[in-house]
Amino acid sequence: MRRNPLPALAVAVAGLCILLPVALLAVWSVAGRWPWPELWPESFSLRGFQELFASYNHTGALLLSSVGLSLTAAALATLVGAMTARALAFHSFPGKELVRFGALFPILVPGTVLAMGLHTVFLRLGLADTLAGVVVVHVITALPYTVSILTDVTQACGKNLEEQAAVLGASPARAFLHGTLPALAPGLLSAGSMAFAISYSQYFTTLLLGGGQVRTLSLVMVPYIQSGDRTLASLYALLFVGSALAVFAVLEGLIHLWTGGRKWN
Amino acid sequence: MSIRFPRVLTAAALSAALLAGCGSAAADPTPEQTLPTDFDSLVELARGTTVTFYGWGGDDARNQFLQTTVADTLKEKYDITLEVVGMDIDAILAKLSGEKGAGQTTGTIDMIWINGENFYSCKENGLLYGPFTQDLPNFNAYVDQEDTETLTDFCYPIEGYEAPYAKAQLVLIRDSAATPEAPTSTEELLEFVQKYPGKVTYPAPPDFTGSAFVRNVVYDICGWEQFQDMEADKETLRAAVAPAMEYLRELNPYLWNGGETFPASSTQLTNLFADGEVLLDISYSPYSPAVNIEKGIYPDTAQAFLWDNGTIGNTNYIAIAYNAPNKAGAMVVINELLSPELQAAQYEAQKVLPVLDEEKLSAEEQALFDAVDIGEGTLPQDALLERRLPEMPAALVPLLEEIWTEEVVGQ
Repeated sequence: MRRNPLPALAVAVAGLCILLPVALLAVWSVAGRWPWPELWPESFSLRGFQELFASYNHTGALLLSSVGLSLTAAALATLVGAMTARALAFHSFPGKELVRFGALFPILVPGTVLAMGLHTVFLRLGLADTLAGVVVVHVITALPYTVSILTDVTQACGKNLEEQAAVLGASPARAFLHGTLPALAPGLLSAGSMAFAISYSQYFTTLLLGGGQVRTLSLVMVPYIQSGDRTLASLYALLFVGSALAVFAVLEGLIHLWTGGRKWN
Repeated sequence: MSIRFPRVLTAAALSAALLAGCGSAAADPTPEQTLPTDFDSLVELARGTTVTFYGWGGDDARNQFLQTTVADTLKEKYDITLEVVGMDIDAILAKLSGEKGAGQTTGTIDMIWINGENFYSCKENGLLYGPFTQDLPNFNAYVDQEDTETLTDFCYPIEGYEAPYAKAQLVLIRDSAATPEAPTSTEELLEFVQKYPGKVTYPAPPDFTGSAFVRNVVYDICGWEQFQDMEADKETLRAAVAPAMEYLRELNPYLWNGGETFPASSTQLTNLFADGEVLLDISYSPYSPAVNIEKGIYPDTAQAFLWDNGTIGNTNYIAIAYNAPNKAGAMVVINELLSPELQAAQYEAQKVLPVLDEEKLSAEEQALFDAVDIGEGTLPQDALLERRLPEMPAALVPLLEEIWTEEVVGQ
């Protein structure tokens, strides 16, 4: 059987499109001067690394707290998303279409408008300038994604396994936990990863609702991107992408352990 | 090192505040915290507290200076912890106006890095605490009280609501290895762009530096005096700046990309210059060549120059938020930033013009400044100050930017 070379080629092109820019970031992070049309930087400098590892920047603590914050937001957004998806997939109730539409609302409203409106509400609730407030706004921003991903997945899974377990005498909780939930695992993973990525890259919402009291990697990185400091921007971007990928890998590993590598379909 | 002042959100933020204000803030005046006016009591109040300093976070030299030298000095002298928070001025405005609208009396922002039209809108909307500068010993001892830039910010009266922090002045930068000539007037600039077509551009207003460059062209062609007391009327301004707009249209075909597009920010222009794509950079930080040569971004042969008729200078300031949780601490920190020791250290670390009056410094204090090696590619301080022109009134600035958009870009 001759193997079709097309898929391999597609993978190679896609890989190059992703890896080449990241490789460029790596070069820029240590580049001093790189004038056009040189193919390689004229000079190198460790300025970026010196700044990144300077003790006053507390980069390690910043990284840990950013990841922790985004994991919390992602877990909550996935939980709420899964429950909403189940309601939308299996139940009919008055105002169902409104809920479906409402779940998408945060991405229909421009981000800055959403943030400024929420700021007013959060001020009254005492949530502004707090970590809890930032978690809530990240959950709100991530919900449209988790709801739409999980609605499709929940519908595709159906209730067959759960009903089968119920027929065999399992309680509803047990039927869900051992029947549907493992089958949903890959969907939960994609929704959770999506929510993590959304939360991890929030800038303006974190800035306004955290009021500068909640520091994240994005808050430190974006000003350098805006200021056009290519060395520091590249270095922070690498750290950002690398840490996000590491989190995805760990999540994927955990899901794999939990489901024992089995596949439902 | 110039502060970037995007105006994207300011209008939205302020209208949001006004809308919210209709509901509650109007009926809920902020109770003024009564602070002692003698400095020693302020220091006692501030001891052991934390002070937050909000401002643009995209300058590593500034971040480093504040978080090391300044933070250490404050800790040692007053047991004050300085927390530097990177936040764009538009986000600060959005935050403060939201808080004002919701009637909040204790926020999180103590000190704000500010100037120009942002100061104007903050003060007009009651987002600042003050007046406070009259109670700062260093302000009284070392700052020239009669100087225009102490009294007004973009021609708008300061009235003690902000203290000077550093001085900026527009300079042009060329690579002396790439071009033998330095165009020191609008006339010479026209010859220059005709000689090097496609190799010159300027950031599109409302970028802070691009906007200042356009104002400088206006000053060079129309003179600067007539704008100082001009009323904020667009048609009056349009008529006054017509020859300058005509000149800018004449430049267009010779500019980078045929003058059809302009870099969106001064930092993009700096990158174009560093890459050798354009021959001139424009900066509001007169010592930026020294900083960028040291960082290895500019070639060693980069050199700043001025226009014969002068370039626009302004001061940036520190204000205190109306709902600052630690006003006493903020005043102690601002006072310390105005000490000869920290101004000289800042001159050295960030390469920004100091705000102290040389005539008020003792010989030892003056020596601190003289000892600073300002680095390659720059002009001496007295050469800069000799050719320093005052800013236009804050209210004219956005009008001129609109006129530029209507009459120059794509024409």
